[in-house]
Amino acid sequence: MSGPSVLSVRSLTRHYATGAGPVRALDGVSLDVAAGELVGIFGPSGSGKSTFLMLAGLLENPTSGEVWLAGQRVSHAGADLDALREIRRRRIGFVFQKANLIPFLSAVENVALALEIADVAPADARAHGRRLLAALDLAHRAESLPARLSGGEQQRVAVVRALANAPPLILADEPTAALDRVRGRQVMEIFRRIAAAHGTAVVVITHDPRSTDLFDRIVHFEDGRMCAGKVEQD
Amino acid sequence: MNLALKDTLHAPTRFALTALGVAFLVMAVIGMIGLYRGIVEDALLIIDRIDADLWVVQGERAGPFAEGSAVAADMDRRVEGVPGVADVRRFTQFSQQFSFAGAPHRATVTGVDVPRDDGRWLSLAEGRWLGGSRYEAVADGSTGLKVGDRIQLARDVYTVVGLTRHMVDSAGDGLLFVGINDAAVIARRRTSEEIHLARAAGTGTSAVSADASSVAQDSKISAVLVRLDPAADPARVIAVIQRWGDVRVMTTGEQRDLMLNARLWKLRLQILTFTGMILVITAIVVSLIVYTMTIEKLHEIALLKLMGARESVVVRLIGQQAALIGIAGYALAVVLAWMIFPLFPRRVVMLPPDLAQIALVLALVCAAAAWVGIVRASQVEAREVLS
Repeated sequence: MSGPSVLSVRSLTRHYATGAGPVRALDGVSLDVAAGELVGIFGPSGSGKSTFLMLAGLLENPTSGEVWLAGQRVSHAGADLDALREIRRRRIGFVFQKANLIPFLSAVENVALALEIADVAPADARAHGRRLLAALDLAHRAESLPARLSGGEQQRVAVVRALANAPPLILADEPTAALDRVRGRQVMEIFRRIAAAHGTAVVVITHDPRSTDLFDRIVHFEDGRMCAGKVEQD
Repeated sequence: MNLALKDTLHAPTRFALTALGVAFLVMAVIGMIGLYRGIVEDALLIIDRIDADLWVVQGERAGPFAEGSAVAADMDRRVEGVPGVADVRRFTQFSQQFSFAGAPHRATVTGVDVPRDDGRWLSLAEGRWLGGSRYEAVADGSTGLKVGDRIQLARDVYTVVGLTRHMVDSAGDGLLFVGINDAAVIARRRTSEEIHLARAAGTGTSAVSADASSVAQDSKISAVLVRLDPAADPARVIAVIQRWGDVRVMTTGEQRDLMLNARLWKLRLQILTFTGMILVITAIVVSLIVYTMTIEKLHEIALLKLMGARESVVVRLIGQQAALIGIAGYALAVVLAWMIFPLFPRRVVMLPPDLAQIALVLALVCAAAAWVGIVRASQVEAREVLS
């Protein structure tokens, strides 16, 4: 870890009740992610990666343990999820396997929406959205609807949207799974640039081993536990 | 950014078809209420506009709008002599079939007492009011007649000298105004054989049968319309006339009540029931449309929540979309109603207060539908984006 800790999770546990008895989806995970750090979380299906993202992204409460953002405890077993919306809006950007763009908004409107939700004036939001799209070579697609964009372009727009509010933390769940090797690499390089240029902490959950060289650190999950980790420096 | 408007513009055809569906339902509501208003207005047309304070009708009967009524041919002169009476007019009304241009027509012949009745209570669209001469008629445009047309009624040919608009009876038949004496002749029409049979039946009858009325049975005068002196006491005048025993005196209010609550009661009830049913159907369909639109957007709603959007953003999205559907549907309905209803055979009266009330009801329906959608949307969790 190089900078101050942006995300800290402490003894994070999540149990689900099923017909076959309780399932320990996450079992006492502790992890710190620093500003400017690109962390890859690897692991087989059912290892707890997505549960970790849900808890770290304040989308679900842990059964026990805590989530801290920039030194502030934000989530715990009894946290009010609805009240965490404000924190998500300001401090966390999400990118998923599917771009999840709103189909009736153009690329720039999808980006501007994230800003307007954070009370940025519509004209300013749109202008900033255009600048961000231009930075990722999408200026010419700004007015295109998602249906008119390629898979790679959609995913890049989703990244731009996650970046729009300049959140200190970006959580990405299998962001390259639906892309070919070249486009998948492009997206990972964007994350690398964002982390380096903006000091954003980026956590990427992935199965994809093709871009491991770009991560500062790789964490392995198995059976809900963080079983090993290693640092890979460029 | 107005998400509701963006979504609407993204699929304009779908929105237009949805709005059109709502518009037809609202138009049906406007039509039913307008039909009701039209029937009531038509039924009360003569009663309200003929400018009479009292109606003197056949004794123990409810007058020409409720049942057969015949008063003595000289009843007007008897009533005229009652203190407090300013003027009197004889009146009769009956349905009549006639042929014109080779086609059968139907009208409600209304006998008015010209020249005492100067026709000031109705507005002519064309031509002039009845003069003193016989065999003239003023017809409503709905009869299909024009000024100058000549029609045969009974044994005589009448010339149409004037036209009215929207003057029909409670059944929707256009009114045909003729002088009271002409009306009596038309009503009295009989075939030669009928006259022969009547004469034969009368031969040898020396005494009036037990059930014979004091009113001459060949009288075709249905009622005598009375206007009172401004200073007259209506109750006193009514009491004087009713003391005669062979007539009944009704006020204009009683005539209205009789028409609305006796003669038209079942029809009014039926129309109002249908109106209520259409309103319920409209409410259900609009609610379903708004709810379906919400369900289709649950993923986007989850995404908005994931991005940290306040609940008000989601509420605005659903509420504005419901409002857009309602406003577009209502506006289309009013335009369609203005275009289509004048072509209907019965008059459909669209009154601004009725249109305002329908708008209010539709707004409430949309609000209720939006509320159901908002409740469903509030149950959506941000994490559903990942599912």
